[in-house]
Amino acid sequence: MRNPIGWASLTLFSLGFFAFIYAPLFVIIGYSFNSNPVNMMVWDHFTLDWYRGLFGLAREQLSGSVMPASGYVESTGHMLAALRNSLMVASITTVISTVIGTATAIALSRFRFRLKGFYSGFLMLPMMMPDIVLGIGLLIFFVTIGMQLSMLTIIIGHCTFLSSYVFIIVQARMAGLDPALEEASADLGASEWLTLRKVLLPQLAPGILGGALLAFVISMDDLVITYFVAGTDNTTLPVYIFGMIRRGVKPEINAIATLIILASVVIAAAGLWLRARKTD
Amino acid sequence: MASLEIRAARRHFVTPEGGRVAALDGIDLTVGANEFVTLLGPSGCGKTTLLRAISGFEALDSGSIRLDGTDLAALPPFKRPVNTVFQSYALFSHMSVARNVGYALEVRGVDRKAREAAVESALAKVGLTGMGGRRPNQLSGGQRQRVALARSIVAEPRLLLLDEPLSALDRNLRQQMQIELKTLQSRLGIAFVFVTHDQEEALTMSDRIVVMRAGRIEQIGTPREIYRHPRTRFVAEFIGETNLFHATVDRIEGAQALARTAQGVEMLLPATGLRRGQAVTAVLRPADFSLADQGIAGRVTRAVYLGSDLQLYVQPDAGGEEIRVTARDGANAPATGAAVHLSYAPEAAHVLEAA
Ligand SMILES: Nc1ncnc2c1ncn2[C@@H]1O[C@H](COP(=O)(O)OP(=O)(O)OP(=O)(O)O)[C@@H](O)[C@H]1O
Ligand SMILES: [Mg+2]
Repeated sequence: MRNPIGWASLTLFSLGFFAFIYAPLFVIIGYSFNSNPVNMMVWDHFTLDWYRGLFGLAREQLSGSVMPASGYVESTGHMLAALRNSLMVASITTVISTVIGTATAIALSRFRFRLKGFYSGFLMLPMMMPDIVLGIGLLIFFVTIGMQLSMLTIIIGHCTFLSSYVFIIVQARMAGLDPALEEASADLGASEWLTLRKVLLPQLAPGILGGALLAFVISMDDLVITYFVAGTDNTTLPVYIFGMIRRGVKPEINAIATLIILASVVIAAAGLWLRARKTD
Repeated sequence: MASLEIRAARRHFVTPEGGRVAALDGIDLTVGANEFVTLLGPSGCGKTTLLRAISGFEALDSGSIRLDGTDLAALPPFKRPVNTVFQSYALFSHMSVARNVGYALEVRGVDRKAREAAVESALAKVGLTGMGGRRPNQLSGGQRQRVALARSIVAEPRLLLLDEPLSALDRNLRQQMQIELKTLQSRLGIAFVFVTHDQEEALTMSDRIVVMRAGRIEQIGTPREIYRHPRTRFVAEFIGETNLFHATVDRIEGAQALARTAQGVEMLLPATGLRRGQAVTAVLRPADFSLADQGIAGRVTRAVYLGSDLQLYVQPDAGGEEIRVTARDGANAPATGAAVHLSYAPEAAHVLEAA
């Protein structure tokens, strides 16, 4: 493999590949500093106004002061409200689906019962299912049982499929665990509860954290399912941005997107770091 | 004083193919309070199952296990005063060495001061003083083995179970650990039940050896008894290298019996318990033979160099199976093809009780 032409073309190919993946991100980051308020595709000059606007509004919203009456600022306020909704949904969903997914993974690998394979196959299904099917299914379900569409239905909807993601990640970690670890703990005098707390959960921690991060990111990002179960008054950021395409895009969106990219990079780095720190 | 008493222990498994394996098929065993007992037997004979029944990870179908008179059946593993050294060591990789070693005390709620002192002394006993701050993955295989050992003795169990703890170590380290384990056991004054595949290991370390076969005990005895006086052909062949001779007693002369193999090789055996016409199986170890001017005549088919000794394979002129003989290596050691005579002291021959 010392063929210089081969190496050069391989390098070019990889660079092109990375450019293809990351160019859109860099474009957004670039435009978030563009001062042109009317057409954000046309570069005017460098500004931090959009960030300032976001943070200023965020501070006002936090301190509870009344929003200015201008329609333009108001829609930025909506965007921030949507972001806040997204963060809330993602946090609650992450906690619930991490608990459910982890508990299920532990139960399935530690207890024997009939139809176990069938059951764990069933748990994969929400992951495989097209979002649109899941979204329609959830909507029909909520309507049938007469449940008002709200933040609660969004959270329930997200938990249904994100629990599966967490389950699969934790289960993979569980499968790699030496069953003798738990026996050693019991042998040394630890009750099942102590074994769970002192041995099993710490050993599963990288998987649980990885699952939780993934659940958070996917929940923040989900459009299709949320779209179906959100109702009219509750908007998450992806749904709001999607709606913007019709109402006209505000430049603040680039600033928010850039902040989200930054947050994703931090979360992904944390995830990678946790994996690299694998305890054995 | 008896420590561990196992009576008529039975345990079976159903294989995935639907068959039934009797992993323990009526085990009776008593282990003294300060005894080093080794379970020895081929793969699948039930050694691990027996250990797991004692530690509580397998329930018995029937039979009983008592420790100092208390029936263990009702106690879950975490309440039994028995600890185990696992073959994979099963160290907790997310804890320091010190916390691993102190784990049994931590879960019993022993306070930090007392725990640290006990951990220090346990680490000292296995020669790991000062290593408490490390993580298990920063240790060599031999050191991990010692941590597992320290962890299992820190709560002063009455009985320590060891399932092939040395099998992952290289030969030199294994021999060193064999001696250390034995020393540790007599210093702690508790009973060890040790599992191994390795007959040499069993012979060096044990007070008594339990030879198991297919869920049953084939023979229990001191290493010398097991080696010199195997009761069955299985034991004779499992422990050490063995030459077996199937012969019929021709006549008895005082303390000696003259027997003849089917091929007509004449053998002198100790007469104890033998009568004329009886079919017997005699055991002679390779080292029992010496090269002489007369005796069993044969020809060397192969000579294998073992270091200071040679292993000779001698085909008797009369026929029958090759005889394995240990001879000293040297200038006049016989080469392949040489004609030799093999002699042995009749007292060295051991006649099996059962075939
Ligand atoms: N959980 C199980 N399910 C089914 N069969 C089992 C189970 N555990 C053990 N067995 C069977 O019981 C028998 C005894 O197994 P055991 O593990 O006690 O053998 P062992 O003497 O420890 O063997 P080795 O020297 O290979 O470790 C074997 O035939 C094994 O296949
Ligand atoms: Mg075993």
